[in-house]
Amino acid sequence: MLTAHRLLEEIIASLRNVIAPAIADPYPKAQAYMTAVILEFVSRQVEERQDVPHEKEQILHNLFADLGSLLNEKIPASQDPDKEARLCRLIEWLYTEKERLGPETFNTLNQKVRTTLRQLLDQELKIAGKAE
Amino acid sequence: MAKSTQEKIVGYLQSKMPQAKDLSLSQFTHSPGGWSHEIYIFYAHWKENGQDVTRGMCLRKDPGVGLLRNLSDLKEQYRVMQALESTAAPTPKLYWYEEDTSLLGGPFFVMEKVEGEVPNPWSKVGKQYYAEAAKRGKLPRSFIEALASLHNLDWRAAGLDFLGVPAPGTDFALREIAKWESLIQQSLRKPEPVLTEVLMWLKANAPKTQRLAFVHGAYRTGNLIVKDDAIAAVIDWELQVIGDPMYDVTYVLSDLNREGSPLLSCLVEREFFIDHYQQLTGLTIDFETCRYYEILYMMRSTAFWLSASGLFAEGKNKDLRLARTTYSVPVVLDMAAKALGF
Repeated sequence: MLTAHRLLEEIIASLRNVIAPAIADPYPKAQAYMTAVILEFVSRQVEERQDVPHEKEQILHNLFADLGSLLNEKIPASQDPDKEARLCRLIEWLYTEKERLGPETFNTLNQKVRTTLRQLLDQELKIAGKAE
Repeated sequence: MAKSTQEKIVGYLQSKMPQAKDLSLSQFTHSPGGWSHEIYIFYAHWKENGQDVTRGMCLRKDPGVGLLRNLSDLKEQYRVMQALESTAAPTPKLYWYEEDTSLLGGPFFVMEKVEGEVPNPWSKVGKQYYAEAAKRGKLPRSFIEALASLHNLDWRAAGLDFLGVPAPGTDFALREIAKWESLIQQSLRKPEPVLTEVLMWLKANAPKTQRLAFVHGAYRTGNLIVKDDAIAAVIDWELQVIGDPMYDVTYVLSDLNREGSPLLSCLVEREFFIDHYQQLTGLTIDFETCRYYEILYMMRSTAFWLSASGLFAEGKNKDLRLARTTYSVPVVLDMAAKALGF
């Protein structure tokens, strides 16, 4: 997801360079330029949310701790510091090893992964959930 | 002073029609629709053999950094439409394909401007338009007939096998997954584990194709020109494949394309679509396969939005409509997750 600051920066540029110059009527034209000015101030007031990445980090930590105790050596070792990337590799591994793991183990592990995925999605939907 | 796009197009048309005198354009519009290509619509006027001639034209240009990146091939679109000209499928007549990128900054082709309208099904006005047409009954019937005309097409005889013919079995679904996964790989800026799960599930559960047909790939209102309550032309030839006709059927049946309307594609009663489509094609709709393709479409939508927001993030495209799609990725992944039961 793009950061709030990057998006504000782009919206300001669009207001200044695309929208305002195309408006002929002086009043809405002034409003467009002033919106760009105000958004520059707003941009300095806005801080990116930290709760979402923190929550996601915790959710992923819990999953890997849980799976580690369940499977020990069966899970492929990954040095990737990015836990989401590690989860991607784990999902791929589970499907690749599905036959060998057997349906019961696969389903148990897949269910745990899916529970985590739902929790991660819910975090992202705090921001992206339908607004209109 | 640099020539405007309009002046360049006049020069190009003049080179293609040296007999045309006093060539000029009117109602020149750079269409805001279409995220993959630049579309210009205009009327060309000229004198020929002492007669005044007017012809509506549409120019479709590859901008180089379209939504589908290297998955979109303008030359292929032209070849497909060329092949369809001699079939029952309603498509615009083609005029010229131009590879020379020095003319407009990218390859382009010029085709007939089909008279009619393309109401936007996502707008309130468009929804109202289709809802009223649904009550009259003629347009929904035409919608199904145009789709059936594609699926009943002898695609080998039409020369469409250059698109690639999937092997029997699961090859079609796996090819589609591979195609969209390649767009995801080009666009991905951070790991998306939900998408990984969806992709792995799709690969593990690919259905066997029962019959191959010529598939549009995005058959819905908004990609169809309507005139006198009938489909005058099927447009947006970007995603066509030889594949499972259920792929198009799913797109019609999908909730993704009706945004709260009880009507399929905001136009057609579900039962009527099923009955009439089956009657016209002789096919039986396989709802289990459709359920699979609906999840594949959710993955495909995710690929679209990742590509769009990626192009914006990379600074390759400044259109704010693309920026907005950064918020669409989790929403469509949420739909896929729910469809998979989590």
